[in-house]
Amino acid sequence: MGFHAPWFLGGLAALGVPVFLHLLRHHRATPRPVGSLMFFERGTQSSTRYRRLKHLVLFALRFALVLLVVLAFANPFVRHAAADANGRLLLIVLDNSFSMRAGTRLADAKQQALAVLAAKPRTQKAQIMTLGGEFRVLTQAIAEETQLQAALESVQPGDGRANFGELGRAIRQLSETVRGPIDLHLFSDMQRTAMPANFADMVLPNNVTLVLQPVAKGAASPNWAVESVQAPAVLSDPKDPKRSRVKAVVAGFGTPEVSKTVSLVVNSRVIATRKVNVPANGRATVEFASLDVGYGFSRCEVRIEDGDAFPADDASVFAVRRSDPERVLFVHVGGERRSALYFGSALEAAAQGAFVLQSVAAEQATDLDPSKYAFVVLSDAVVLPSIFEHALAQYVAKGGSVLISLGTAAAHNARIPLWDGAVKDVREYARTGNPASVGQVDFSYPALAQEQPGHDNGGWADVKVFYAAVLDTGQSRVAARLADSTPFLLDKQLGEGHVVLLTSGLENLTNDLPLHPVFVAFVDRTARYLSSSERLSGSRLVDSFVQLRSGGELVGAATSIEVIDPDGRRPLSLTEARTAQSLRLERAGFYQIRFANGRDAVIAVNPDRRESDLEPLAEDVQQLWSGSSQSARSQTASTAPVEATYQAISLWWYVMLLALLVAIAEVVFASGYMGTPREEV
Amino acid sequence: MQRFLDPQVLAGISSLDLVAKTVVDGFVAGLHRSPDFGFSQEFAEYRAYTAGDDLRHVDWNLFARTERCYLKRYRGETNSQLTVLLDASNSMQYTSGPPRKMDYACYIAASLFYLAIHNQRDAAGLIVFDDEVREDIRPSTRPGQLARLFAGLEQAEPRALTNFAKPLKHLESFRHRRGIAMVISDFYEDPETIIHTIAPMRFRGNDVVLFHILDPQEVRPVLNGSAILVDLETDHRIEVIPEYTKTTYRAKIDAHVDRLRSLARGAGMDYHLLVTDQPLDRALREYLSLRQAGN
Repeated sequence: MGFHAPWFLGGLAALGVPVFLHLLRHHRATPRPVGSLMFFERGTQSSTRYRRLKHLVLFALRFALVLLVVLAFANPFVRHAAADANGRLLLIVLDNSFSMRAGTRLADAKQQALAVLAAKPRTQKAQIMTLGGEFRVLTQAIAEETQLQAALESVQPGDGRANFGELGRAIRQLSETVRGPIDLHLFSDMQRTAMPANFADMVLPNNVTLVLQPVAKGAASPNWAVESVQAPAVLSDPKDPKRSRVKAVVAGFGTPEVSKTVSLVVNSRVIATRKVNVPANGRATVEFASLDVGYGFSRCEVRIEDGDAFPADDASVFAVRRSDPERVLFVHVGGERRSALYFGSALEAAAQGAFVLQSVAAEQATDLDPSKYAFVVLSDAVVLPSIFEHALAQYVAKGGSVLISLGTAAAHNARIPLWDGAVKDVREYARTGNPASVGQVDFSYPALAQEQPGHDNGGWADVKVFYAAVLDTGQSRVAARLADSTPFLLDKQLGEGHVVLLTSGLENLTNDLPLHPVFVAFVDRTARYLSSSERLSGSRLVDSFVQLRSGGELVGAATSIEVIDPDGRRPLSLTEARTAQSLRLERAGFYQIRFANGRDAVIAVNPDRRESDLEPLAEDVQQLWSGSSQSARSQTASTAPVEATYQAISLWWYVMLLALLVAIAEVVFASGYMGTPREEV
Repeated sequence: MQRFLDPQVLAGISSLDLVAKTVVDGFVAGLHRSPDFGFSQEFAEYRAYTAGDDLRHVDWNLFARTERCYLKRYRGETNSQLTVLLDASNSMQYTSGPPRKMDYACYIAASLFYLAIHNQRDAAGLIVFDDEVREDIRPSTRPGQLARLFAGLEQAEPRALTNFAKPLKHLESFRHRRGIAMVISDFYEDPETIIHTIAPMRFRGNDVVLFHILDPQEVRPVLNGSAILVDLETDHRIEVIPEYTKTTYRAKIDAHVDRLRSLARGAGMDYHLLVTDQPLDRALREYLSLRQAGN
């Protein structure tokens, strides 16, 4: 036992205070006059004994309180024999990511892990975890070997991607609760692609000894994979070669130049086959001219026919939904037709014919049912028939979407349909002769998404805005702002649906956006975003999320959502089906989802293609990670006698707790002794 | 004068009389029973006429019926004199909170003087004593007597020890008329000694009343811890523990009071315990009502 701050022991001098108060200080009673001592008797001796007896407990408590407080400040600790095998936690982390499906990697990893488990002393505690997609704890720290073995045996290959950075974060969190030393055995194929961007994410705490157990020995086998597939998620005209083509990229990892046969499979039927020369360690593109699919959902796949060492990544799946072009309702102000012309042209050019624009003046929209349309555009139509506006509100609440653009009419009528706020002001940049440009663009917003926007702000920098309405953003998301920070594009969720608001018009009078190429891309992405067409089909990566319902919906009023995973099972329980906000796509294959509003979706899920690169971490990186000084020791960790090391365990918390208890007892005793006794009648 | 007379107290006792329980001497007609026959409403006896009797007392109706001459005699009623013997020893200055025992005693004495002189036209006198007789105001009904008595009370500051023998000897020597004698004291003395000292006064036909004045802390003392107590008269000090005051002391003081009460009643004296936290008017009214009822 020792003290972290022994100089605080000087405070022990304070122990003299209770000693002085109780033992050294003379009891001085103030003489008290009485009429006569006729009936009194001297009680000195008994009085002294009585006082001492009573105050002895109080003295002991006060003495203990001072002592404990001083000890707490001195921060005592005890040395714990940390080197005892029983005190070391054996942590077995098994990589079950997608790449572990290659060959017998997972089986080998299990065997090695079972061997380590069998070699551990019987009383030593161990814990099993898996690394693949997400970090999972399979058991608590227990010593029962049967349970640990069963947990290891139950590990199945996953489709997720291993990330050593995530492992580092999880172990750092674990070490905050486990004070003792940890022997971490990682059974993995040590993929290079599992390294995080920053090596610091992988660094483990001091009390963790990392023992790397690579299961893939030697150089990685050559592996080809379908790296990516570009295919329409929604198809309205299969005969149109420009819109129904499928483009796939075949990548080779550690491969020589070779010719590969690639097939396009639709609903388990091969409809096209192509030969492609894949360069050494390179990529080749395969294009299938037409995608002839029937109405409804089609489960498609691009597959490399010649097998390799890792056949699981030789195919990439995607879902295509064929339907007639959906109608888009475009409501405009009576005489204004430019906006419909520009928007319709852009939609036709961009959206692969999936949408048909129906233009109507605002005053004629009374009898229209918005639910028959993929989405609705209100072009400067701030005054709507009340019946139509009500129907539109119902439509949005049930999952429909509306794009509102505010033209010059907004200056005369501040109220905006469906939008809580009103127009506060208008900025007429044309009058000043200095049109505004689009200053900030949120490229993560679906309607503005661009993977690599250029220096011209993704094409938005050239757009000149002559007129814009100013309104309170409130709870809406601002996706784009003008150079003077005036919101330009806003998004607000109402019920299940969205309302996207453009604070300028869609014609070329209030801005010159329709004249720029970025307008076509904007209309295309906005149309896809508002119609949710991509949400219902296409392809995703494993471990991505699908939003099942909006966050604002009341849970009590929720309708069940049906999800069927690639194995044909329902991953959501009945309760989750009524309440879950999102679904993690954990398995590769086709997910079938029926949303609350009755719309069906088939979503293809592919593993992250970084898992196809089986190249392991360089040896020096592995040594750096596990620590060069520990590496030698780690090889013999399970068999060699362990050096006796000690760990200081601070007792500060316990001493302070004890001091608190003593303080409470002192208060209770002191109040009992010193309080005014109640007069007995 | 106002210091001793509380209007509330006077209002409480104004309807009551301080009437002597025994036959007392007096010169003028009053409230008290006289040893002589006199002129009053209360018939006493018939007596045969003898030469020299006052013819005014002859019952002429009887003479008309029987032709015999009888005198009709009535009970005589007289005034009395009230003497208050006030203990002004040091122990009377004890207080656990206002008023002091001395003040309480003075209030009682003043109220009784007022009752006797103002209401009943009885003579009233005062003897203030400790171990000596410090003040002696002879009973009188002269104008200004009440003021004199109050001045005597005013000057009666507690000091010295208590000695009952001296004032009573003084009383024996200088007062020969029977009357009402009221002793106001805290009676910190052996009950037998007190009664033995006071009893001769009763034997001479005086109506003797003992007012025992005690402070609430003297009846039920409270000590939070052991304390050193100082005797106000002797200046002796002793250390006392709270347990003692809660048990033995209470038993002793109760026994003292009971003994004093029983001996006083045995000797034909009135005894009344007054605790200074009692409202004075209530205490006096209670005593006077009881006395009237028992008369």
